Amino acid sequence: MNFSERFGKELLFFDGAMGTILQKNGLGAGELPEIWNITHSDLILNIHKSYIDAGADIITTNTFGANELKLKDSGYTVEDVVSAAVKTAKLAAEASDKKVYIALDLGPTGKLLQPYGELPFERAYELYKQQIVCARDSGVDFVLLETMGDLYEIKAAVLAAKENCDLPVVVSMIFNEKGQLLTGADIKTAIFTLEGLGVDGIGLNCGLGPAQMLEFVKEAVKYSSLPLAVNPNAGLPECVNGVTSYNVGPKEFSEDIKKIIELGASAVGGCCGTTPGHIKATVELCKNLPALPVEKKHFTAVTSYSKTTLIGEKPIIIGERINPTGKKRLKEALVNKDFDYIVSEAVKQVDKKSDVLDVNVGLPEIDEKEMLTLAVKKLQSVVNTPLQIDTSDTEALEAALRIYNGKPLINSVNGKEENMKKVFPLAKKYGGVVVCLTLDENGIPDTAEGRIKIAEKIIKTAESYGISKDNLIVDALTLTVSTGSQNAEITLDTLDYVRHTLGVNTVLGVSNVSFGLPSREYINTAFFTMALQRGLSAGIINPLSDMMMNAYYSFCALKGYDDNCEAYINSITQTQQTVTQDSSITLKQAILKGMVSRAGDCAKELLKSENPLDIINGEIVPALDEVGLGFEKGTVFLPQLLMSADSAKAAFDEIKQKLNTNGENKASKGKIVIATVKGDIHDIGKNIVKVLLENYGFDVIDLGKDVEPEAIVKAVKENDIKLVGLSALMTTTVVSMEETIKLLNKECPGTKTTVGGAVLTQEYADRIGADSYTKDAMACVRFCEEFFANLNS
Amino acid sequence: MELNLNEILRYAGFKGHAADEITLNNIAELEKEIKASVNPKCIYREFEFQKVGDSAILIDGIEFRSKKLVAHLKNSKSILLFAATLGVESDIILRKYSASDSAKYVLCQAIMAEAVEAYSNEILDALALKYEKDGLYFRPRFSAGYADLDLTAQKDFFNLLEITKRAGISLTDDCIMIPSKSVTAFIGITPDKECQKSACQFCDKTDCDFRRR
Repeated sequence: MNFSERFGKELLFFDGAMGTILQKNGLGAGELPEIWNITHSDLILNIHKSYIDAGADIITTNTFGANELKLKDSGYTVEDVVSAAVKTAKLAAEASDKKVYIALDLGPTGKLLQPYGELPFERAYELYKQQIVCARDSGVDFVLLETMGDLYEIKAAVLAAKENCDLPVVVSMIFNEKGQLLTGADIKTAIFTLEGLGVDGIGLNCGLGPAQMLEFVKEAVKYSSLPLAVNPNAGLPECVNGVTSYNVGPKEFSEDIKKIIELGASAVGGCCGTTPGHIKATVELCKNLPALPVEKKHFTAVTSYSKTTLIGEKPIIIGERINPTGKKRLKEALVNKDFDYIVSEAVKQVDKKSDVLDVNVGLPEIDEKEMLTLAVKKLQSVVNTPLQIDTSDTEALEAALRIYNGKPLINSVNGKEENMKKVFPLAKKYGGVVVCLTLDENGIPDTAEGRIKIAEKIIKTAESYGISKDNLIVDALTLTVSTGSQNAEITLDTLDYVRHTLGVNTVLGVSNVSFGLPSREYINTAFFTMALQRGLSAGIINPLSDMMMNAYYSFCALKGYDDNCEAYINSITQTQQTVTQDSSITLKQAILKGMVSRAGDCAKELLKSENPLDIINGEIVPALDEVGLGFEKGTVFLPQLLMSADSAKAAFDEIKQKLNTNGENKASKGKIVIATVKGDIHDIGKNIVKVLLENYGFDVIDLGKDVEPEAIVKAVKENDIKLVGLSALMTTTVVSMEETIKLLNKECPGTKTTVGGAVLTQEYADRIGADSYTKDAMACVRFCEEFFANLNS
Repeated sequence: MELNLNEILRYAGFKGHAADEITLNNIAELEKEIKASVNPKCIYREFEFQKVGDSAILIDGIEFRSKKLVAHLKNSKSILLFAATLGVESDIILRKYSASDSAKYVLCQAIMAEAVEAYSNEILDALALKYEKDGLYFRPRFSAGYADLDLTAQKDFFNLLEITKRAGISLTDDCIMIPSKSVTAFIGITPDKECQKSACQFCDKTDCDFRRR
């Protein structure tokens, strides 16, 4: 029987530690254990054999870190090491008279993926692909990703396995004592995400001893519909005389493992510190235990890199603000790739307790695939609220699903055959809960029966793709009540039936109902409450609308979803606080004191009576000058300078909107490219410079951090740039600054450079050929003012 | 983890001056948010070491070249290698404020700088108490990138302590640590009980805005 036929149906035993035994045999600190597959293959063979003799059914190849990055300077290729390891494991397995399975063991790459670190997702995919391709035809029985601590890296590895071999994939993760992965996911989040990706088994290993793992095993069994593999350490590591040791002996270990099996683990073994003795004791004690059957669970869940939103009992809020329909400012941000604006819209909605954020970036003038991918990457690097990927472009959908870090809501599929054929395979491959629009080739039915029929058709078709109704959420479609008096009722009847008779969760874009009517919030709020009462699982609404959120909190309190009405009370108190604000403070004072929202309000108020340019010259510029001078004199400090800058920005934003509607445009003082140089990922200084330059009226093209010299040259050429600002924090990266300056001098001779950063000095700047050195952000502003004044005169 | 407000203000660039009320409120709020979200982690291990003349030391056969480090370790009998991090959550919070509120962004940087210091001190102070019972004392922390110890020494330091695997800190090709709020240090263990110098005093850059006075 092959591995899949037995895993989850009977109890199987893994082997124990490899590294620990190699260390005992002289493997030095910092030495790569995988090289020993070649230099000490007899020892590796003996270790495998000793585990088989101890009773292991599964041995894991000594390939944990056998990736291109780690082997870079070793003199061996990935193929050398992986082939040697598999060959040795096979020798050991074949020497046994019972069936022994070989797991191709793959650990983390050793680098953190973007956005936490520097390794791009697709590069991680390539690293795993390389290992898998080396081993796929060599007789291994399954791919074991183990000691994985980052969901995103796991996703890259699982896709690499699924797209490059037909072997089963088991993913075993390392959780800390709080039950979290390195990048923050709790157990259920990891499980929902991995089930979405279609893995064959889930596991817990390393990090903890068997006793500390018990509660996490319980948690895993509660949420998982897949077989579970558990490989704890021999206790928690202890440092004795400078040497790490593990102190749980075979007997104690096996007794705790027995409890783990009784909780529902399908396969067990050991990780760091365990020996053939531990495995032998475990097999002897547990071999006759039955494996508990793996039960299918029914959750409708979406996840981010760290968090789960469950859809079902208590209704949830999907924030609708990242969707350009009817939003001028967002359109502008999308066209200009102003991701800071998009991210700050997300942060606002998260602060208002949105459970999911809708992300729709569809505009005729932009490349939706590129923009959606970028927006999802940016958003998931900042907020841990799951996203709803909202697009009708299936290419953009696939690109976004591929790089999404979690299990998203997918908006949407509809009842058209053609559409289902495109969307369901993607949902099946990448995972996700799919929003099902109740419309088809004949449009939107004007009866509840018609819409229900479509819902039933979609549910049935999804099943044929292996997508259960747990992973669907039906949109009964909100039509505006001003064009048909029965429109709201039809929607609500459909919703009620889908939720209560078909047993599928429901979603609505709520605010469509009031289109064309005055004071829309009244209708929206009433309709939202009615829909919640009829069984709405998720409302796509504006969470910044106090009326909508108050309706939601009131409903939850009345329905018994809010213990002690706590959420209701908190939300109402917050709303009242924002209403009371000191209105005697002028715009100039607000900027000086750094009162961001007050500055915006003041500007809005002033715009009713004053000319925009007068406000800029009479209030904002004098305030900024005063703060800037204070900073230079040492009476105002960096955080205060920035609070004032943010306040001025809030005022500018109001004025900009007004100028846009009047068709006027403020002249720019000059256009500057700024970047943190290649290799450097510290961008605080560069970001501060950007804030201040924008405040002083410059157009800033921010290329970000770790930027290749070529990318800077390209931006300079494309935008006809005369001044480039470069930042570097570390001595090691000033070298790339020098390279960048050289390339700029060669390719763009008329363009000047100004540099800054912690390790830089005037002398250093001169040495690397920079045209100017500025010691802080304010000095950079002064320099730019002078530079462009000279340039223009 | 107890954070020192004066240190936070020093990191935020207040140069010994008092902060305004909005800043203080922001610091209090951010401190709460940061403490609730981060997952600090550390790893340390004591090693034997040999001096190579006055210019380098050897740990487990690996050489670290630095005269200042050798001088710093005078009389030390062994050496503790230490690494600590606030974890990836800290960088996520920084990115959030980087996009949405630049003043809070700078304050977060300052609070986290103090937090990783406070956390490291908490761990090391507790450890130092244990050593004191045997009549041994910790020298101040000395890190790669200080004085004449090149930052590239981090590569060997990371391998020796298996930092990436055990503490979740990774090192870029240019030797920058991720998460950004991470520290590493060599700490000499000596029988000499003596007054301790602060890390600033190793540094020749005396005009630094952030220098402890």
